[in-house]
Amino acid sequence: MIRLCIRYLNLIVLTILALIGLSFLLPFLFPGDLLTNISGITPDSNQQREALERAFKLDKSLFSQFIHYLENLFAGNWGVSNRTQLDLFDEIALTFPATIELVVYASVVSVTIGIPLGFISGLKHHNPFDFSVVTFSIVAYSFPVFWLALIFITVFSLQLEWLPTSGRIDLLFEVPSVTGFILVDIWLSDIPNKGYAFKDALQHLILPTISVAIVTTALFVRFVRRSIMDVMEKEYIIAAKSRGFTQRQIFFKHGLKNAIIPILPILALQVSTLITNVMIVETIFSWPGIGKWLIEAIYQRDYPAIRMGMLIVSLFVMILTISTEFLTRAIDPARERGVNATL
Amino acid sequence: MALLEIKNLTLFIDAGDETVKALEKVNLTLNEGEIRALVGESGSGKTLIVRAILGAIPDNWSIKADRITYQGKSLLDMSGEQRRQIMRREIAVVFQEPASALDPSVKIKEQIKESIPDEFITKAWPWKQNKQREELTVNLLHRVGIKNHKRYMECYPHEIPTDISQKIMIAMALASEPKILIADDSTRGMESATKTQILRLLLKFNETKKLAILFVSHDLLAITSMAHSMTVLYCGQTVESGKVKSLLKRPLHPYTKALLDSAPSFQVSLPPKSKLVTLEGTIPTLQHLPTGCRLGPRCPNARKECVMVPVPRNIQDHLYSCHFPLHLPKNTKHKVYKEVKL
Repeated sequence: MIRLCIRYLNLIVLTILALIGLSFLLPFLFPGDLLTNISGITPDSNQQREALERAFKLDKSLFSQFIHYLENLFAGNWGVSNRTQLDLFDEIALTFPATIELVVYASVVSVTIGIPLGFISGLKHHNPFDFSVVTFSIVAYSFPVFWLALIFITVFSLQLEWLPTSGRIDLLFEVPSVTGFILVDIWLSDIPNKGYAFKDALQHLILPTISVAIVTTALFVRFVRRSIMDVMEKEYIIAAKSRGFTQRQIFFKHGLKNAIIPILPILALQVSTLITNVMIVETIFSWPGIGKWLIEAIYQRDYPAIRMGMLIVSLFVMILTISTEFLTRAIDPARERGVNATL
Repeated sequence: MALLEIKNLTLFIDAGDETVKALEKVNLTLNEGEIRALVGESGSGKTLIVRAILGAIPDNWSIKADRITYQGKSLLDMSGEQRRQIMRREIAVVFQEPASALDPSVKIKEQIKESIPDEFITKAWPWKQNKQREELTVNLLHRVGIKNHKRYMECYPHEIPTDISQKIMIAMALASEPKILIADDSTRGMESATKTQILRLLLKFNETKKLAILFVSHDLLAITSMAHSMTVLYCGQTVESGKVKSLLKRPLHPYTKALLDSAPSFQVSLPPKSKLVTLEGTIPTLQHLPTGCRLGPRCPNARKECVMVPVPRNIQDHLYSCHFPLHLPKNTKHKVYKEVKL
């Protein structure tokens, strides 16, 4: 177990280093002035340029530049954005939690709906319920997320006027940002009309969450259904039936775990798809998350912002993937022990 | 009364565009305390019979039978719950490959504990119940000849050797103290020392507990040494059944004879380097089953009557289905034998 931990820790550290190295090289590959790409500041005079070059150690070797970059990175000194001249660390600290919030809610919805639905239709497959679930999942999986989001806005916001079109919360409420999660922040804050603010935030959440979750739910349903169907035909399930166990006992003691273990890494991989979809949906719903922020940065050719945003998002996805992989290894007894850690 | 009785079991497999009769009018009886061997080549449908008895059949299979009874109660007519109860307490199965018949994600200890019926637990408090279950588990492991139970209790199935897993399977089968044990080719692919151990174990429970065993195998040597009676299966049809002794001495069906002849162990006077006798051809696949007696195309004494399915006939508990049986005593026409009422 300790060896397993060390191996995975090693993998994480090395991958982080590789990602940081890549992000360090990015400004050299971007078009334009190297100094502007790194610092985010367009120098007015030669004096300022020299000062900046000295500050970013551009006059030194590439290696000492990298060390300097590492120091700044870990000190939280991530430079400034080209377009707003604001500190990137603060901007990401403000936008990233909003994205995670959406990711978390969408995953919770997908897991709580997709997995049970997959089990139910897989256990009693080839009946009308199963067919309708499969049909739903194919249809839902085929929807492009951006189209679905637009349709939701048209139907539920513009036509029916049930739900708001954009944003996280009505502008009337001024919620101080503590954790970055809007619902938690409302709960922690002492603003008047907390209940209304909460309800309003929830209403803002519904459409983005559903439009992201629907694709992932469809995927989860399909994976889980296939997996449980395979497992229920295994010999140990027949053996359990031959011992006269009840259906419930067979499913919960022998079916569930064996069906989940092989698909857990696949399900975890869907999180990266989920994050991509969240970024798209953020732009459509003007959700102030890192996706929207990054896309704006790309439009404005804000290279320092692109660099940091990409680093943070890729780190998040990477750590998530490796930790689920680790979790699967830890709970799966039959997994081959000799295999090295992989991403 | 027979403990387990199967009359005219036909099993259909729906293979998309056509329906195949994988088993055709199979008859099988198992009496109390008896070891009955079910013999046949691979693909002859031995495992299908076992699955039909268990009731664990996939959606595209269907069963038709005059009767499948356990102690006179029809297994086909009873409710799912009643059948489950019988499977829980009365009938136990040991499967072909122990490694795949054990749940890979659950510890051995838990799996054995699970197979002990609740009725055996007499203690009232949950923690005492758990302790009692554990004791019973250790007891079971000792009974099947696993002495260092501590070594294996905490293991997962992939961590233990095949022979130990098979013993654990037997332990789990015996946990509910069943009346019938179905051993579905339990010794397949095992080395002879291990095989002997497993067979001895089965024999011991047969002698001490009056456990009836349906021993599914193609290992003729093992069968002749332990079984009381045997049923020979060819391509989904029962060709002959009766006491092992009388079958060995005087096989009535050409297939039984060929089967016995093909095993050199039974040929005392076989000179060295002589050719072994076998039937021409191979067992037909399910898609190309011959009509009538399925041995027909391969049978040395087939005649045109063989395109009809032969009616099973009975001489002194020796049942055979053949139009032209071998070894009939002189002066007897086989009309004389009474037809078995089915």
